[in-house]
Amino acid sequence: MSVEILLGIDLGSTTTKAIALDRTGRIIGRGITNTRSNYEVASQIVREEALVQSRFELVRHALAADPELSGIEKRFIGSLVRNFRRQQHLAQLEFLESTLHRCADAPRYAPNREAVKEVLNRICDAMRSRVPGHFSELSVRKSDFFRDLAAADYMQFAEQFSESKHASFDVLCGLFDAAILEVENAAGDGAFERHSGPALEQTLATAPPDIREREARLRSAVESVRSLEFQLLGMVGTGYGRQRLPFPKEQIRSEILCHGLGAHAMFAGTRTVLDIGGQDTKAIQVDGTGIVTSFQMNDRCAAGCGRYLGYIADEMNIGLHELGRLAQESTCSVKINSTCTVFAGAELRDRLSLGQKRPDILAGLHRAIMLRAMSLLARSGGISDEFTFTGGVARNPAAVSALKNLVQQNYGVRTLNISPESIYTGALGAALFAQRAADERTVA
Amino acid sequence: MTDRDSILAAGIDVGSSAVKFALVRTAADGAERVLALHNERIRRRELRKVIRDGYEAFLETAGVRQNDIAYTASTGEGELVDFRRGHFYGMTTHARGAVFLLPGTGAVIDIGALHARAMRVDERSRVMAYRMTSQCASGSGQFLENVARYLGIMLEDVGPLSCEAKNPESVSSICAVLAETDVINMVSRGISRSDILKGIHLSMAGRYTKLLRSIDACGDVAITGGLAADIGLCRALEEKIAEEKLAMRVRTHPNSIYAGAIGAALWGAYRHRVLARRTEVVA
Repeated sequence: MSVEILLGIDLGSTTTKAIALDRTGRIIGRGITNTRSNYEVASQIVREEALVQSRFELVRHALAADPELSGIEKRFIGSLVRNFRRQQHLAQLEFLESTLHRCADAPRYAPNREAVKEVLNRICDAMRSRVPGHFSELSVRKSDFFRDLAAADYMQFAEQFSESKHASFDVLCGLFDAAILEVENAAGDGAFERHSGPALEQTLATAPPDIREREARLRSAVESVRSLEFQLLGMVGTGYGRQRLPFPKEQIRSEILCHGLGAHAMFAGTRTVLDIGGQDTKAIQVDGTGIVTSFQMNDRCAAGCGRYLGYIADEMNIGLHELGRLAQESTCSVKINSTCTVFAGAELRDRLSLGQKRPDILAGLHRAIMLRAMSLLARSGGISDEFTFTGGVARNPAAVSALKNLVQQNYGVRTLNISPESIYTGALGAALFAQRAADERTVA
Repeated sequence: MTDRDSILAAGIDVGSSAVKFALVRTAADGAERVLALHNERIRRRELRKVIRDGYEAFLETAGVRQNDIAYTASTGEGELVDFRRGHFYGMTTHARGAVFLLPGTGAVIDIGALHARAMRVDERSRVMAYRMTSQCASGSGQFLENVARYLGIMLEDVGPLSCEAKNPESVSSICAVLAETDVINMVSRGISRSDILKGIHLSMAGRYTKLLRSIDACGDVAITGGLAADIGLCRALEEKIAEEKLAMRVRTHPNSIYAGAIGAALWGAYRHRVLARRTEVVA
C-alpha cells in the first residue's frame, strides 16, 4: 500500500523545517532539525523527520479508526514516540562516542592519549546515564536537537572530569567541536525502520495492563504503517539556503512568497506578516489570496533577527526555548545600549557580573529586537488588520509580548495571529506550492 | 623598603575571552624582567572565579606568595579583580608592554576579542594618538573564534591553516554574526578551510590597516592582544600593508598576547616606587 504526499522544505539559517501534506492538503507530518554545513544532509534529515512524524500520525489514525483501540491512542503513541526518540538519541550518542575516540587518535594527543580517552569514556558513560531522564514523560528538554542536548551534557561532564595536566577542559572542548561536526554531517537513514521496532517492544513492556491486553492489535497497526510506502507527488524548497538545495530550479520558491502563502493558509484574514527568522527579518504585505504586494527585509546585520537571540542563548549557555520564559520573569526591563549582537552579548556578561538580574537584561534584549522589527514594518507599509507573526521567534513569549506592546502603542488595536506551528510557515507555503504544481499537472 | 631594592609586581589583564597574568621583577637601576606568564581562557565560566583561581595557580607555579608582591595591577575589564591595588587603562598598558617587548615600536595595534585599537606611541610608551573600532564586532577576535569553532578547528591551528591558503575567499558579509552563516555557506560550496580563514584574515587586516592609517602610524607596528598569536592574521596584515605601500613594518613577539598584563605589572611597579619614594620623603 502507498500514500501520496507533498513536501515543502524550508532551509533556514538556524533550523531546517519540512511539512508533509497528504493529497487533500492536510498536514500529516512536520520535521525540524538544526541546519548544518552540509545542506543536503540537513534537507535529507528533515525530510526523514517529517516522514517519521507522518508515520506516527498514520498510526494514530489507524488506532483512532479501530473501535477497540480508540481512547488509548494518545497514551500509547506518546510512549511510543518517547521510546523512539530515546533509541534514536542513544544511537547518535554511540556514533558520537566512536567519533570522539577517533578524533583523539590524532597525533597531537599522543602524549596524553590514554588519559584523554579515559576521560572521554567517563564523559560518555555519564551522558548515557542522562538519556532516560531526557526522554521521560515529564521531562522538559532544553532543546529537541541532538547537537544541543549532547553539547550541554558533554560540557557539564567535561568540566567535571577534566584535569588540567593530561586532559584539560580546552582539549575536551576541541574534541567535541570536531566530533559533533562529523556526527551531524553524516546522513541518518531509515530511522523509523531501525528504531520503531525496539521502541514498540519497550512501550509494550512498560505499558499498563489496559494497553498490554490489546498488544496484538497494536502490533499489527504499527506493523502496517511500517510497511507503508510514501509516494512523493511533489516537493518545493525555500529559505535562506534554497539555492543550494539539491532541487531543480522550478522546485524552488523565494521565502517571501512562501511565508506570504503559508501565513494566508494558517490565517485567511492576514494582510501583514512579520517573519523573524534566523538571519533575516521580513515585513510582508499580502492581499486576500496570500499574494505578496510589498515587503521589506533587514540589511546585513544580525541585530533584530532570531540569530540575535540565539547568540544570547549560547552566551548564557541555555536553550533558545528557555530564553523567553526567563525574560518574562522580569519586573524591570533594562535598556540595552549595544546594537551589535556580539556587543550585546558582552554587555549581557558585563551587566550580569555587575549583579543585574538575568530576566531584566533579557527583557531588554527582547524589546531591542522588536524595535528593529517595528521600523521594518513601518517601511513596508505599516500594520494592517489582521497581523500575523511567524518564524522561530514567534514561539518566544517574551518577544510576543514586547511586540504586542509596541503594536498597541504605535497602531492601536490589531488582531495578532500566532500559530503554535508558526515556525513551519515557510515550509507550509512551500508544500502548498508543491500541491498547486501537482494539481496543475493533474488538470493538464 | 627603599627604591634601591628590586621588587615584584603582578599584572592581570582581564579580556572578554581570556585572562592573562604576568609577573615582573624591576630593579632600581631600571632593569626589568618578566618572570612568569599565564593565559587562562574563560570559556563561559564564572569570571570572578576564573580570575581568583587562575591567579592563585599562577603564583603557585611561579613559586611566589602574594605577600612577596609589591603591587598587583589590573587592566582591561579589571573591575572584577577585587584583590588588585590599582587599575590601569588598557591603552596605556598595551603601549607599555609593546615597547618593553619590542623596543623601537612606533605604533601598537591591540587586537582583542571584541575591539581593536591602534595607537601611536613614543619611545617612553606614551600614547600620542589612537583610534578604535566602532560599536560593531565585525572582524573581531570573537568572530574569528566562533568561525574556528564552527569549522571544528582548534584556535591555535587557525594561523597555520590560513598560511596554507591558495585562493582566499573574500568574506562578503559585514556583520560578525551573519558572516558566520556565510562561512557555513562556503563550507557547503566546498571551499577549503584554509581559504576561508585567509579570506577572513584579509578582511580583518583591511580594517586594521585603515585604523593604522588614520593615526598616521609609521615605522615598527607591534601587534598585541589575543590575536597577536595568530600568525595567519599577522601575515594578512603584512600583505595588506605591502599592498597599500605603507611605510610600516609589522612585528610580533612570542609574548605579545601578554603585552597588557606585562604593561600593567610594569606600571604597577613604577607606581609603587613613586609611592614608596613619597612615603620616604615624608618620613
